[in-house]
Amino acid sequence: MSTPELVTVTIDDRAVQVPKGTGLVETALAAGVEIPVFCYEPRLGPAVGACRMCLVEVEGMPKLQAGCTLTAQDGMTVRTAQTSAKAADGQNATLEFLLVNHPLDCPVCDKGGECPLQDLTFRYGPGRTRMTFPKLTFDKPIPISPTIALDRERCILCYRCTRFSEGVSEDGELVTVNRGAQSMIATFEDEPYRGRFSGNVIELCPVGALTSTQYRFLARPWEIQNVPSVCGLCPVGCNIDVTTREGKVKRVLSRNHPEVDEGWLCDKGRFAFSHPHARDRITEPLRRVRRRGFEELSWDDAVDEAERMLRAAGTRIVTALSGSETIEQAYALGKLLRQGLGAHAAVLPEETSTALDALRLPLSAIRDAELVVVVGDQPVEERAPVVDLWLRAARRRGAEIVTIGPTGSIQTPPGSAPQVCRDLAAENNELGRRLRGGQRSIVIWSGPDGRGGEHIAALAHALGLADVAGSGAFYLPDTPNGRGVADAWSAVADGEPADPEPIALLIVSGDEAAANPGVRALAERAEMVLAITMFQGLAVGWADLVLPGTSYLERDGTYMNLEGRVQRLRRTVIPPAPDELAWLAKLAGRFGVELSPHPSLVFEDVSARLFGGLAFADIAATAALPTRAKAAPRPPLPEPEPQLGGDGLRLLRYRSLFSGAAVERVAELQFQRPAREVEISPEDAAAKGIASGNEVAVRHNGTSVALRATLNRRLAPGVVRIADEHAGDLGARVEVGRA
Amino acid sequence: MSPQPLGSLHGFAVTFRQIFRKPITQQYPEYKRPLYPRFRGRHRLNRFENGLEKCVGCSLCAAACPADCIRVVAAENTPENRVSAGERYARIYEINMSRCIFCGYCEIACPFDAITLGNEYEISEYSRDDLIYTKDMLLAEPRKRVTIQDPELFDTPIPYYRAKA
Ligand code: SF4
Ligand code: SF4
Ligand code: FES
Repeated sequence: MSTPELVTVTIDDRAVQVPKGTGLVETALAAGVEIPVFCYEPRLGPAVGACRMCLVEVEGMPKLQAGCTLTAQDGMTVRTAQTSAKAADGQNATLEFLLVNHPLDCPVCDKGGECPLQDLTFRYGPGRTRMTFPKLTFDKPIPISPTIALDRERCILCYRCTRFSEGVSEDGELVTVNRGAQSMIATFEDEPYRGRFSGNVIELCPVGALTSTQYRFLARPWEIQNVPSVCGLCPVGCNIDVTTREGKVKRVLSRNHPEVDEGWLCDKGRFAFSHPHARDRITEPLRRVRRRGFEELSWDDAVDEAERMLRAAGTRIVTALSGSETIEQAYALGKLLRQGLGAHAAVLPEETSTALDALRLPLSAIRDAELVVVVGDQPVEERAPVVDLWLRAARRRGAEIVTIGPTGSIQTPPGSAPQVCRDLAAENNELGRRLRGGQRSIVIWSGPDGRGGEHIAALAHALGLADVAGSGAFYLPDTPNGRGVADAWSAVADGEPADPEPIALLIVSGDEAAANPGVRALAERAEMVLAITMFQGLAVGWADLVLPGTSYLERDGTYMNLEGRVQRLRRTVIPPAPDELAWLAKLAGRFGVELSPHPSLVFEDVSARLFGGLAFADIAATAALPTRAKAAPRPPLPEPEPQLGGDGLRLLRYRSLFSGAAVERVAELQFQRPAREVEISPEDAAAKGIASGNEVAVRHNGTSVALRATLNRRLAPGVVRIADEHAGDLGARVEVGRA
Repeated sequence: MSPQPLGSLHGFAVTFRQIFRKPITQQYPEYKRPLYPRFRGRHRLNRFENGLEKCVGCSLCAAACPADCIRVVAAENTPENRVSAGERYARIYEINMSRCIFCGYCEIACPFDAITLGNEYEISEYSRDDLIYTKDMLLAEPRKRVTIQDPELFDTPIPYYRAKA
């Protein structure tokens, strides 16, 4: 890229050099001058100049100008309110106008204390009001969704929220209705705002018009602590600030990591934080007593009991990991079991591979790409939601996004992704040729069975993407820290994981592990089960000993996200029970294994083996991405899977973003969970005489599930799609008929 | 030896002379000196005449308090449970009197005149826990009334305190 031309701009008598075309607000910032803004937000696209807070005097222009709409031009001379009485007057008047109908109910408003309107009025506005007549009033608060409350009286019509809805998340659900002074923010037909990213408008709103219902009246800015951490609910690993008050998490805010999330969060990450206070949270160790259910036991007894179980089982132990453990926890568990007992068998959360390390890119590279090809059966937004925002940003910048799959822009049957990879890699494939020739081509695998990224890495290597700096590949894993857990587990020891028979002890670590049908089968075969779990879930049903687990909000440690970035998790609140590392360290001592209860020390150990000695303290608040590996395995192209024969429609199950142990326990998120419905292509629906909204029965091998049909135009004919939680025991081929 | 041996005798003479004067000691608690009207004593949370609380739970008093002794936890008014005017009320309002320095900043910070410092100063207790005043204690009228200064009642013999009549 050519270096952009530098221009000199004088702002308040300070000359500053910036690249031509830089926004005036940023230019001023470079000169150390603030231009106050409300509506300006570069992440939302071009400036709209709606609020007029940014008025400045520009030499040669007769009237005051909205600074946010201008860009730096050579020789420009700008005066802000600091040096121009005219600009100061203008801003003062702007604020007076904005406050004409503002209710000034700051003591009641949740934004009070962290409100740009308050702050800027204090600094630039009139000290007293001249509004002696009644103000405009509206009904308030209006719950535009169970998570967001709208107060129209406070709205200053900056259009940040509607611009987000229209131009970032592209759901278009939040709009402005009416005109002029009567304009107001609304959703269509008073339907709830049901986007995956709706919560971001709360943070964007510069006043208290859009507030979180969960945070409503819970705390004021001077009563809280914000702890920088990362979200542990999906493999993106968005950076977050966790607001706590009096030892409880009250809300989650985004913390802009420009390479990972650009300051956006999905609604799961933002609103699911209350799960640690769920009613069925396990806070004491539990032991199964014959015919009497469970009894609570003290921690000392629990550790004794665990020791007894481990000793009895010896090497005949299988450990099922969930992929939500921290790297340190997985390592500690591995050290205890593998070094202390020689029990190497594990069910890892998913396959992982280092093949992608030579194709590594920050997620933000997607935005800058020219051509992105997504292969796989699962929608990106359900697996790694913020990646979907990056893809949308890329499309807006003119990139071409091609999705190949059952709901893709190129429709293929489920399970055909390996074949797609082979096709793309072929010499004569048109799309493959363009990927190969491009400067910024990215391929993404979004679906199960990707061999931890090997398949997509094979495709990327075949296309030569590893040699182009702006090109690369991503694999969207199932679990938040699957790669970190698997790497840490394998870093502990190099013993051979022989399958023990019979299984004496199954250790189920984490709530998500229990959802794996393979683990359920193991539990039936195992003589004893030890479950480490937060909630009264599936695993408790099998367990002989239950040890309380902790949430990602309660742990210190590290997670590795889908890019391969190691990020710090910080303990935001004290868990109701000692965290895993604390009792693992105690238990390890009994087996002569030296293990520290402190994540920083455990990480040191892991880091020496995995991350080249990266120090715990050196993981920055916005963590850096390791550089591309030079030598990474180059797997062969995947073998195509045989297409499933049989009659009926192919069933495509998907795991909704709003599913999982945490989301299930958050009342405010229930409206976002997938409806009991089966998606069917218009062709199949017509053939079977099904209309949208019909009650249908989905049958397979004698089992039948009653669901409501919805037509999905994007779905390939011959495929029906059902969310995991509603698909029950249905197999891969189903019959759909009117109930 | 002190340089002036007669100095001590001088001192004793002063003491001796005082014995025959009227003492200015006041027998508290039998006798209570009246207070200035703006004396800052134990807090009160005020209500409107219709019984609604003035406090909306905005925590500005807690922000202003230099001793960090106020704890406010707010909640939302509902039609069934209307506690204050407006949307928000203080579900928990506590002042830790053992930390309070009676500076009155809370009263200045309050946008609704909901908290004011009263005249009561007899609030010692045997346990620190009892010094944490909860909302119902603060809302109630203080039990012990204290006389406010009135030039007529005013009888302190120290001229410094005498009101300029
Ligand atoms: S609701 Fe907030 S973000 Fe939306 S237009 Fe009004 S002030 Fe702006
Ligand atoms: S009088 Fe001063 S120290 Fe006491 S509660 Fe009020 S602000 Fe705090
Ligand atoms: S910030 Fe420039 S008009 Fe709103």
